[in-house]
Amino acid sequence: MIGTQLQMPALKGRVAFIFDEVNFDVDQIVGVKNIKITDVAELAQVAMQSYDPDFATTVRPGDLLVGADNFGYGHPHYPPMKAMRHLGITGVIAESFSPGYWRGEVSMGFPQVGCPGILGFVERWDEIEVDWAAGVVRNHTKGTELPFEPLPLADAEMIEAGGLVPFLKRQAAQQREQKEHSHVSGT
Amino acid sequence: MGYTITEKILARAAGLPAVRAGQDIKAKPDFVLAYDFPGYTDVYFKTMKEDFGIARVAEPERFGIFIDHMVPTATAKEEELHINTRNWCAENDVPLFERHGIGHQVAAEVGYATPGAFVVHFDGHVSQLGTFGTLAIGLRRNVMEAFVSDTVSIRVPDTVRVNLHGSLRPGVMARDVFHHLVRRLGPSSCRFQVLELGGPSVAAMSTEGLQTITGLAMFTGALTAIVNPDPVRLDYALPRARKTLEPVSSDPDARYSAVHDIDLSELEPIVVVPPTPADTRDLTEFLGLEINAGYLGSCASGRLEDLRAAAKVLEGRRVKTGVSLHIVPTSQELMAAAAREGLVSTLVEAGAFVSSPSCDYCFGRIATMTAGQRAVSTGTLNVRGRMGSPDSEIYLCNAAVVAASAIEGRIADPRPYL
Repeated sequence: MIGTQLQMPALKGRVAFIFDEVNFDVDQIVGVKNIKITDVAELAQVAMQSYDPDFATTVRPGDLLVGADNFGYGHPHYPPMKAMRHLGITGVIAESFSPGYWRGEVSMGFPQVGCPGILGFVERWDEIEVDWAAGVVRNHTKGTELPFEPLPLADAEMIEAGGLVPFLKRQAAQQREQKEHSHVSGT
Repeated sequence: MGYTITEKILARAAGLPAVRAGQDIKAKPDFVLAYDFPGYTDVYFKTMKEDFGIARVAEPERFGIFIDHMVPTATAKEEELHINTRNWCAENDVPLFERHGIGHQVAAEVGYATPGAFVVHFDGHVSQLGTFGTLAIGLRRNVMEAFVSDTVSIRVPDTVRVNLHGSLRPGVMARDVFHHLVRRLGPSSCRFQVLELGGPSVAAMSTEGLQTITGLAMFTGALTAIVNPDPVRLDYALPRARKTLEPVSSDPDARYSAVHDIDLSELEPIVVVPPTPADTRDLTEFLGLEINAGYLGSCASGRLEDLRAAAKVLEGRRVKTGVSLHIVPTSQELMAAAAREGLVSTLVEAGAFVSSPSCDYCFGRIATMTAGQRAVSTGTLNVRGRMGSPDSEIYLCNAAVVAASAIEGRIADPRPYL
């Protein structure tokens, strides 16, 4: 599995919220009228107000979000998940993701895990963990586990690297190294 | 077992004898396209230079930049962005297309829709190049990989095949076909896959109609859409093509993850109700709902057949007082053709405000709505705040519905006017 080659970030925490709406538009997390706020602390203050006004005070670093099918559909913007990361959220596990949202967040180095069955597998505030090496999500509260879908290689590498730019820098360095090596060995 | 057109294009682009859906590859795009937009191109240009030490791109002919948003500019800052883009293109010898129209349409006009080519962009609506057998994928920020290296890292996608049968009835347009697909198949039916259009009715469909359908593919979750190029599409694309490539098509025994059949003759005009592109309804359910604005344009539907449909409805009639109808042809080439045909005078005489091509009406930078207002639109999207206030509403529909609604000041059926 992924974790045997890559040092994926640890994902272990509580289920801070379950978005059970199919085709969920993540812009609703901060509300469309707040999408243009650039100050992340200010964004974090308005996040989740229409879902759970106490969210910011109850969430803990390491907590995770859970979503339904086609999470991130519509015209997703970056601010909602910037706010979530500021509050300590370390990843999203959903039944499935909309490609635009997926690519956008993976390029930020923000772990996304496609896991069919996750909605019925967890309740809010359960302690869970993504075991990258075993390819399962573990529910420590209930003592159960559920397999997730392996990530495309480049997406896993991008998450491991911490986002698009570090991923590309590492790739460029590897290519330079290969070139130098072939030059030295004369091949 | 045979290969899909997508697998064939990506195999060539990856320099491999063959690839299959599910395989992780690095493929070299034939063309890397972008429009200048704050936070995108300006960031790429800066990152290339400062983080990767790239002073000039190695193969400028592989790139194409479009200035189609913030056209014309309204602030000094917007003009500065354009200057930055013009300078970068000049320093890099990269072709720049400014004020030719909306980039995804212009890309086809100026030969980036090369049949058999692999094209990347950050914006997903570039999928409309698929009309010509081009595999064109929107990668969002990941397109930066194509700016700083030769290749992009990609998993070869599966393909969902949709076969079209029968022919459209009057008043029903390509726009309706696409949104019917979303309704029938579901907004996640093609997630991370390619939507391939085929079947007996594709050959009879207009190129413009296919551009509309392929351009909106992302709302089925698809990475892109593609059509096996036929003589009509090749006649358009090959003389303009920027690269000599052998056009390819799916093998008859290619593997599809799903195959669907749609009978076009059963379709009726639709509206897509706010605030999601997933909510397709019959037009008849919403007749009579009052509107304040109409917008006919965008990379999805501002082409000649859309302008003709609107002109047919509006000829000899007037846009209702108090309703603002904005008609924005998708490109300069199309606007000139519409003028030669007399469509522009018909639309203007009916009271439409006709503007030169720009993306800006589609995302509410101009013709902005305030709280409580409602538009009928052929734009790409109807999410909250797309055309101004988050408390305004956008009903997506075909061009004839926009025109009929502008006459009546409420959502109207165009068929009595045709």
